[in-house]
Amino acid sequence: MNVKLFLSSLFFLLALSQASAQDDLLKQLDSIKPKEKQAETLGFKGLQICNMQSTKVTAKGEWYVLISHRFGDLTQGFNNFFGLDDAYTKLGAIYGATDWLSIGASRQTNNKIYELTAKYRLKNQEADGFPVSIVGYNTMDINTNLSTDQYPYLEFNNRLAYTTQLLISRKFSDKITLEFAPIYIHKNLYDETTERKDQFVVGLGGRYKLTKRMSMNLEYAPRIDAPENDVYHNLLSLGLDIDTGGHIFQMVFSNCQTMNDVYVFSNATGKWNGGSLYFGFNLYRVF
Amino acid sequence: MKKIIVLLVFIFLGNTIFAQKMMTRTGQIKFEASVPSFDPVAAVNNSVSAILDESNGEFAVLALVKAFKFKIPLMEEHFNENYMESSVYPKATFKGKILNFDASKTSASKKYDLEGDLTIHGVTKKIKTKIDVAPKDGKLYVSGDFVVKNQDFNIKIPSLVKSKVSEDVAISFDLVLDEK
Repeated sequence: MNVKLFLSSLFFLLALSQASAQDDLLKQLDSIKPKEKQAETLGFKGLQICNMQSTKVTAKGEWYVLISHRFGDLTQGFNNFFGLDDAYTKLGAIYGATDWLSIGASRQTNNKIYELTAKYRLKNQEADGFPVSIVGYNTMDINTNLSTDQYPYLEFNNRLAYTTQLLISRKFSDKITLEFAPIYIHKNLYDETTERKDQFVVGLGGRYKLTKRMSMNLEYAPRIDAPENDVYHNLLSLGLDIDTGGHIFQMVFSNCQTMNDVYVFSNATGKWNGGSLYFGFNLYRVF
Repeated sequence: MKKIIVLLVFIFLGNTIFAQKMMTRTGQIKFEASVPSFDPVAAVNNSVSAILDESNGEFAVLALVKAFKFKIPLMEEHFNENYMESSVYPKATFKGKILNFDASKTSASKKYDLEGDLTIHGVTKKIKTKIDVAPKDGKLYVSGDFVVKNQDFNIKIPSLVKSKVSEDVAISFDLVLDEK
């Protein structure tokens, strides 16, 4: 009896080992999982969604040269040739100092503003791991258009304005990425009747990929407890990204013509229903 | 009866020993599709897994596409997103056989024919190439190289960058197989 049991169990084991020997070798490899959790691939192609920043941070050693244009009011038609007459330009560069930190500087036409920026990745979205990417972003504006003719008691710190932003995004699928960004704006010089010294803004943005190299972007940034007036409106922009390899080309329709973050989020002068609208583009060249 | 048991035990043991598999998880695959005077289109993957059944020469290799590292980060991003679509096709695999492989005869470095199915970007193609197998300190050093074409694996190069990416991709591999 015992011998029989032993024999049959041996047969069973033999059959089992034979079966496993014939098992697909690839399947055995398939069971190997990467040790570390993989960072999810990027949710945005551009450093910007339209006007607001995306959670993309440049890699170490990368140079991005930025050329942005916003034409004048599109709604005036032939009077200003659909905005061609009063274009604003922003020129700048962004450098990846490390894999998680990039610094940038730019200058734009409007108010001759120099903008210094720092963007730093705090956490990456992971495949089957951490659900969102978190990036910090700071800007400092230096308004060099202000003069003592206009403000006799002007001091240097009156020229400065800041934003502090926390960009949180999630890539929901290959096509859809959404971003949520609490933003804090501080202005040293401001107009009490239309602006606040400290303004909170909620930035909302997203992209929808149309093809491998094109995506549609949308952003909306409601101000919290903004002063009641008709001068400034909440930012709303629609954009199209075209990735051509070394370039990212972003076409933008927005109710904001200026391109420094302080103005973008708190001083948008246009309005989608019955106000001014602006067409423009951001062009990034990667070196 | 006892003889049968002894015999069976031997068969059982013999089977397990004979079916010994050699494998690695840190193999290296390199590829290059550069065009002279443009940025090098080349990457290396140092976490390739491979397994060899010494009893019959069956051989399988698996590489995660996202683990290919480029010198230029943007190139890596485009490689994953635009060309290899690594979130849809995360793995590149090979499954085949080293022809006439005989574990007992591999005392020195020897060339073998390798034949099998290569799957990249969701497309499977039969390939045939020569490989070197060299035993050393109980390990097997398996290496070789071959050339594939992008279009064979449905990897489309847009006309804008056609002049900067070679249609022929040279792939080389270095695998150090150890006992499982």
